Amino acid sequence: MAETKVERLNEPKYNPFTQQELPACKPLLVPKLVVITFMFIGTLFIPLGAVCLQASSEVVEYTKRYDDLCVTGATNSDKEANLLATSGAGTDCQVTLAITEKMKAPVYIYYEMHNFYQNHRRYVKSRSDEQIRGDAAGAMSSCEPKVYTGGDSKLEVSPCGLIAWSFFNDTYSMSMNGQNLPFSEKGIAWTSDRKEKFGNQEALNFNDIPEYRGGGTITGPVNENEHFIVWMRTSALPTFRKLYGKIDQDLEAGSLITVDIDNRYNTYKFDGKKKIVLSTASWLGGKNDFLGIAYLTVGSICFIFGLVFLGLLCKYPRELGDVTLLSWNKVAKE
Amino acid sequence: MGVEGPKTRKIFINEAEKNEAAEYIDNSISTSKYTVVSFFPKGLYEQFQRVANFYFLIIAILSLFEFSPVHPVTNVGPLVMVIGISMLKEAVEDTKRHKKDSEVNSTPILVLRDGSFVETEWMDIQVGEIIKVLDKSFFPADLLMISSSDPDGVCYVETMNLDGETNLKIKKCLDNTVSFTTPHSLNDMQATLECEMPNNHLYTFTGNLSFQDNMVHSLSPMQVLLRGCQLKNTEWIIGSVIFTGHETKVMMNSKATPSKRSAIEHQLDKLIVILFCMQCIVCIVGAVGSPEFLDMKQWYLALDENPGFFDPNEKAVTGMVNFVTLFILFSTFIPISLYVSMEMIKFLSVVYFINKDRSIYDEHSDTAALARTSNLNEELGQVQYVFSDKTGTLTQNLMEFFKMSVGGVPYGDGITEIQRAIAKREGKALPDDVKDENYETGFNFKDKRIMGGNWIKEEHSEELLQFFRLLAVCHTVIPEGDPEPDKIHYQAASPDEAALVVAAKKFGFFFHTRTTNSIIVAETIPNADGTSTTEDKEYEVLAILEFNSKRKRMSAIVRTQDDKVLLFCKGADNVIYERLSKDGNEFREKSLEDLGAFGSDGLRTLCCAYKEIPRATYEEWFVKFDAARTSLVNREQMLDDVAEIIEVDLKLIGCTAIEDKLQEGVPRSIELMAEANINIWVLTGDKMETAINIGYACSLLTNEQRKFVIDAENERILEAEATMNKTGAIEILNEEVMSQLEKAYDDAKLMSESMKFALVIDGKALQVALQPENQNLFRKLGMMCASVVCCRVSPLQKADVTLLVKEGASMITLSIGDGANDVSMIQSAHIGVGISGNEGMQAVMASDFAVAQFRFLTDLLLVHGRWSYLRISKIIGYFFYKNILFTLTQFWFNCFAGFSGQRFYDDWYQSAYNVLFTSVPVIVIGLFDQDVNRAMGKAFPQLYMAGQKNIYFNVRALSWWILTGIFQSVICFFLPILAGHPAAVSEEGHMIGHWALATTVYTCVIITVNCRLALAVSFHTIFHHVFIWGSILFWYLFIFIYCAMTPGTAGSLDSSDNIYYVIYYLVGTPSYWFSIILTPVVCLLPDILMQGMERWFRPLDHQIIQEWNAKQSKDSMDDKLIEKIKNRGRTKSQIEGTDLLDEVRNRSHTGYAFESPQGTSYYAPQEVVDAQKRASVFVLRKRSNYGGSQGMAVPKINEE
Repeated sequence: MAETKVERLNEPKYNPFTQQELPACKPLLVPKLVVITFMFIGTLFIPLGAVCLQASSEVVEYTKRYDDLCVTGATNSDKEANLLATSGAGTDCQVTLAITEKMKAPVYIYYEMHNFYQNHRRYVKSRSDEQIRGDAAGAMSSCEPKVYTGGDSKLEVSPCGLIAWSFFNDTYSMSMNGQNLPFSEKGIAWTSDRKEKFGNQEALNFNDIPEYRGGGTITGPVNENEHFIVWMRTSALPTFRKLYGKIDQDLEAGSLITVDIDNRYNTYKFDGKKKIVLSTASWLGGKNDFLGIAYLTVGSICFIFGLVFLGLLCKYPRELGDVTLLSWNKVAKE
Repeated sequence: MGVEGPKTRKIFINEAEKNEAAEYIDNSISTSKYTVVSFFPKGLYEQFQRVANFYFLIIAILSLFEFSPVHPVTNVGPLVMVIGISMLKEAVEDTKRHKKDSEVNSTPILVLRDGSFVETEWMDIQVGEIIKVLDKSFFPADLLMISSSDPDGVCYVETMNLDGETNLKIKKCLDNTVSFTTPHSLNDMQATLECEMPNNHLYTFTGNLSFQDNMVHSLSPMQVLLRGCQLKNTEWIIGSVIFTGHETKVMMNSKATPSKRSAIEHQLDKLIVILFCMQCIVCIVGAVGSPEFLDMKQWYLALDENPGFFDPNEKAVTGMVNFVTLFILFSTFIPISLYVSMEMIKFLSVVYFINKDRSIYDEHSDTAALARTSNLNEELGQVQYVFSDKTGTLTQNLMEFFKMSVGGVPYGDGITEIQRAIAKREGKALPDDVKDENYETGFNFKDKRIMGGNWIKEEHSEELLQFFRLLAVCHTVIPEGDPEPDKIHYQAASPDEAALVVAAKKFGFFFHTRTTNSIIVAETIPNADGTSTTEDKEYEVLAILEFNSKRKRMSAIVRTQDDKVLLFCKGADNVIYERLSKDGNEFREKSLEDLGAFGSDGLRTLCCAYKEIPRATYEEWFVKFDAARTSLVNREQMLDDVAEIIEVDLKLIGCTAIEDKLQEGVPRSIELMAEANINIWVLTGDKMETAINIGYACSLLTNEQRKFVIDAENERILEAEATMNKTGAIEILNEEVMSQLEKAYDDAKLMSESMKFALVIDGKALQVALQPENQNLFRKLGMMCASVVCCRVSPLQKADVTLLVKEGASMITLSIGDGANDVSMIQSAHIGVGISGNEGMQAVMASDFAVAQFRFLTDLLLVHGRWSYLRISKIIGYFFYKNILFTLTQFWFNCFAGFSGQRFYDDWYQSAYNVLFTSVPVIVIGLFDQDVNRAMGKAFPQLYMAGQKNIYFNVRALSWWILTGIFQSVICFFLPILAGHPAAVSEEGHMIGHWALATTVYTCVIITVNCRLALAVSFHTIFHHVFIWGSILFWYLFIFIYCAMTPGTAGSLDSSDNIYYVIYYLVGTPSYWFSIILTPVVCLLPDILMQGMERWFRPLDHQIIQEWNAKQSKDSMDDKLIEKIKNRGRTKSQIEGTDLLDEVRNRSHTGYAFESPQGTSYYAPQEVVDAQKRASVFVLRKRSNYGGSQGMAVPKINEE
């Protein structure tokens, strides 16, 4: 039979893609590479860890819990009762922080809260960004249950919602060694927030009526109240700090800082804590040894692993691509 | 099965009104799944039957409610997309089916209506109507044959579509109806047909035809023409419709096209349940924790005002609602895009890789591979059992005269496939098979000693002459066409016979005319001077002693022109050798050696012998013979006995060796598959000898195997069938087969350590073995055997055997076949492969993959299948991992948020996670990943075992994915938090808050999962780099744009206010950068460690080969080297085993096989007489006038 020439109409064209012959690099995690990887991570991370730790150690930080000091009462419920008895005026108290190490300006003032769930779903969604922006027609339904004061639909609250309603309202003033210590309350919020997210409208029906009040009040345009703006940037975890002010002078070692607190905010009911924090900041931020330690730990572990593997590599080298190790060849040998 | 209703069907022939009452179904067929109306309800129903789709439907509905933590679009969007894509695919596929159906249904056909034959369409014909079918057309329904163009009422039918056999069958109508040939006479015919109800038995039919005069004639399958068969060599037939449409036997045999899903997809469903349980657990934790947390003391939540679903006084309600809330939030546990991604990957692989693969393109038939479904790609990587048809799949159904041995001298230089396979294994190069000028279909013999008249110079030229004469005379072939060597066409019952006659022609003994009682052969005898003389010699055929499976030989007794009476006999070696004369057979031993050699080369051999009969002896014998053949009782037996008397004292001339031409590369492919631990079962309609022979030819059977032959054709059974009633015979059959099976199984158990086994079983025995109570034994035995050959099996048995292994043993099965008789087998197996490129398309239409050659199966399995399996298992594991990682970070967050169901991430982060930032690289892996390249995959077929053992998708592999997911979620959540909380993160002393922290964590997650993906890949193409690293860059691109959207410009998506400017702020804080470097490294260290250690100390096979491959330079990688490496681990005797094997082969197996469709049994009654038998009957009848009374037809072949 003569070979009849068939026209190759259906023959697939050559193409490295369809023939699955694309050029490719085929890195294999061979023992040598394992050693190199671990050594590399080790040598990279250990210095990074040192740098981080160094940065953190430069930061000077003093913390003082004051919620329990500022109100009398044996239990939290006693304290709460005493606080509420002031009808919102709050109790005054003083705490003292001894500066033992020089703090270079700027020194940041924070308040720290514990057990305050700013991340609860009911809380997080209870805000109206449109309203805060100053959009008069902004939807307020999301602000439930704090839309109207006392449920009166004429008394539309602005800014509405639980977050705004529970606005932190303790205030601080400071003195150093008896001298008044001025601090700035500007520049504590993100500039972007101040400029774009908050409008210059005045608060309306906001925490006016004492019996419906949660936290503080707002006077003047909303976007000028940076404490409010800071408060509205909710925290991811129930323990958090918020920036309160900046001291633009160095605090010398040995000085005593007295903080006059107007203690109004009710943390007693939910068994929370309030703290005042003074801290400097490094290029890496506040005092947090975690990054440094983590880098050092991971780096050291990798380095040690790397060394161990290097030892293993020298002692028990494995010939790469040793076909006698193939499972079927092993079976055949047995 | 208590089906109520009539037991028989009563049809009034040609009386449509009377048949209407019975409401028979019409003759249209439908293989489609949907109609226009049912598409949406049924299609949607099917979609939501997928657990995952249903799940997401629930989630989407739930997310419409108030308690949903996310925007409804987050869940509805992807669902609509997924369902939409799948439905579109269904619609396209079903449209194709509709088109095909309507093509078939509207085939034209002649129907008798109002007194004349009018043309109508197939779908319009009704039960009882009379139709006329013309030559070469297919029967539109099951018909009762009334008459044909042949005055005797005979027609020829090709049943290729039913049983794969290509030889013509004869059907004959009742003598009483022969005369109804014109519309006029047909109108007068008033008859009633009472017959069995529609069933799927192809070989049985019971019914009675009664005429008005109350004459009742019983009908047999002889009168029934089945849909799917083709009318051949007959001008026309007239028939009455018995069964229509889906009630025809062929349609009853085809099972509904099952929608197949791969084993991995089934396992995936189970895994989804595991994920679902994980999800429920975290939701329950949240549902319990959330009301516990809520308390009036959390005054800032104002729980006393409209508490809604946060009422601390209704803890049960709060808990339950919160469960739902969390359920929606954590619905990302179940990866919705997994299904879309998987479908896309599979679809693209099919379209661009399998269908476009040049190595599975067949240039002879210009056919590329075609994957008809994209559901089963990965299944190809896990096949454990391959069920193969023989004819057309393993073999080309082409018999070629290949070698011979005459006078003890072997002739023929050809190299068989099996020799090539052995040579290749030993690394020897053999010349390609070149077809010389003598080549002709049926003749592939090369030997200069013989061809061109050179045979006359051979030592045994006398024997050669006799041999050629035998080939030209001793057969039942009928020549067709002009009596010229180039134009003649031989009509033979089997291709073997035709090949022998063609060979005789090529040797110069041209058989060109068969008259009623003689054969004329043009004999060309070379002269000494190089010229040759051609002369017509007439042989008077005195008797033909037929071939049957018991005799295994045939003889022709002829009278030559010089008045000598010669008996030519050809047959199986053992039967011929028994009948050789004691002396004068000097090449007895030599020939036996040659027979062995031919047999081991996979050739089908026949021994040829002759003797001269003294006139007196002949005449004496002929009396007995004549008595025997005219006997009305026990004729067959008497004929056999008579033949025994004369077929003695034969003189051996030599033997023929015919190659049952294998498809190209079959032995090599089978060997590869065997190395890949794939078991191959051959299921064939052929006789046992043929099947065994092919088993040898394609190295499926070897002599080192212990063979169990379960044969229902043994003496006891045959005797029982002849003498006992049906039930009794079946009992004996059962008993006999079971005892054989049990014995084989006991033997196998005893020797399983030391030997390999092969099982050969015939269809009748199989029927017993497949009984529900015997199945187990048969399956166990079959699975102990290295190879199994089932012969004479029906299409349904093929399916049953497949199902036996598929369901009984839960093995992944693949069936491959080419004919309509393989359809049910193809559909039953996990994967059905059809051989394309030939004319019949039924197998292809039923298949999942269609390839042009059997050998392409190796590429399909070892390359595409293995890769697909690897890819799919990798991406499923990865999807699980990345979704667990992502979802659990939300859970950790909720542990610190009173389990309130607050989402940690922005809505957009959540919906884009699966769709934008992590899915595209997965598709790239799913398309491109390779552990080792194609050459390696085929060079080391053992790698395939990884898929069979499912090592990439087992509990261990998946647990590792899940555990790393959990571990990394912890790292990704807590590391950035500890690094950035509660102290300030920047020099300005600012705090970052919820959304900035979430963004940091999210960045870590995106980087981690993409790096993890890169780590899982060992084959980085440019696409990998673009998409993996691109995904991370894309995230940054997205977030920079998203964060830049000034509040108020994003429309209704007010959540963007939360995110506004966040990233710009973060990139300015060093601690952000420190976090996103540290976190992924810590996350991935265990993976690197684990992977490194595994490769180092317990390297997997593919890893070793990767390394080995990396060491080799590209050019040095020839096959020989690979072979050498592969054998390095083998023991010496194993390598030498091939030579050993040959020796053993030579000793034991001889390749007797001869195609003759003679095996009769109640199971597959061969009431259809084949052409061969007719030819011999024809000769007999002309000499004696007995034929007519036996109802045998006289064909008009060649008389004019």
